[in-house]
Amino acid sequence: MIDNRPLSPHLSIHKKLLTSIFSILHRITGIGLSISSILIVIWISLLSFGPNYFFVFQMISETFIFKLILFFWSLGIFYHLFNGIRYLYWSYGLGMNLKSVYISSYIVVFLTIISTFILWFLIR
Amino acid sequence: MVFNKMNSHVFTWVVQRITALFLIPLTFWFIYQCICFQNLEYLELKIFFKSFINSFLFLLMMIAMLVHAKIGCETIVQDYISTNYIKIFFKRFINFIIFSSLFLLIVTIINLNIAQ
Repeated sequence: MIDNRPLSPHLSIHKKLLTSIFSILHRITGIGLSISSILIVIWISLLSFGPNYFFVFQMISETFIFKLILFFWSLGIFYHLFNGIRYLYWSYGLGMNLKSVYISSYIVVFLTIISTFILWFLIR
Repeated sequence: MVFNKMNSHVFTWVVQRITALFLIPLTFWFIYQCICFQNLEYLELKIFFKSFINSFLFLLMMIAMLVHAKIGCETIVQDYISTNYIKIFFKRFINFIIFSSLFLLIVTIINLNIAQ
């Protein structure tokens, strides 16, 4: 890959707009979900290694810290998913005027919160 | 071939969108399965992954997820790191982690489906 693309502008010198905050959040959740995808691979590997190894995961999964991480994972995955769908239809040039962008931003926030709430209601 | 006419950035952009399209239904499927997993014991989980369709969908989701993650993380490195050797280091690190995970994932799925 040719590495001569212009660098993104420094985050600190721009006024924080809703659109830029959503873009930054998409990248932050993307990094978090990338790490979690590696953890999913480790989880299924423990399942394959045998019950003793999987028991270690089960012990960790009962801790409060794990449940807290799982909560933020669910919040991140729903945000990245719904915001990603918005990016997909932007790729076709749809819904790119400012009013549509703001409306879809609020829809993303609403769907993220409601989906996370439903998920945790189901796994309580 | 259409891909032959694309430059590497366009190809990466297209792959990022294709993997995203795969991930939309597969993520909902995985979240639904996670809700079901909470009451499953070790052996029940193993039986779940012995099913061809479950293993296939999981493998498809994980491959799409890891490829999507690789492209996404490389783009972030490309956009925010200006020092060339640090950029190269992070790109190689991302590649190593992603390809190791893909290898481990495929071996694990084969092992779960073959082992008694």
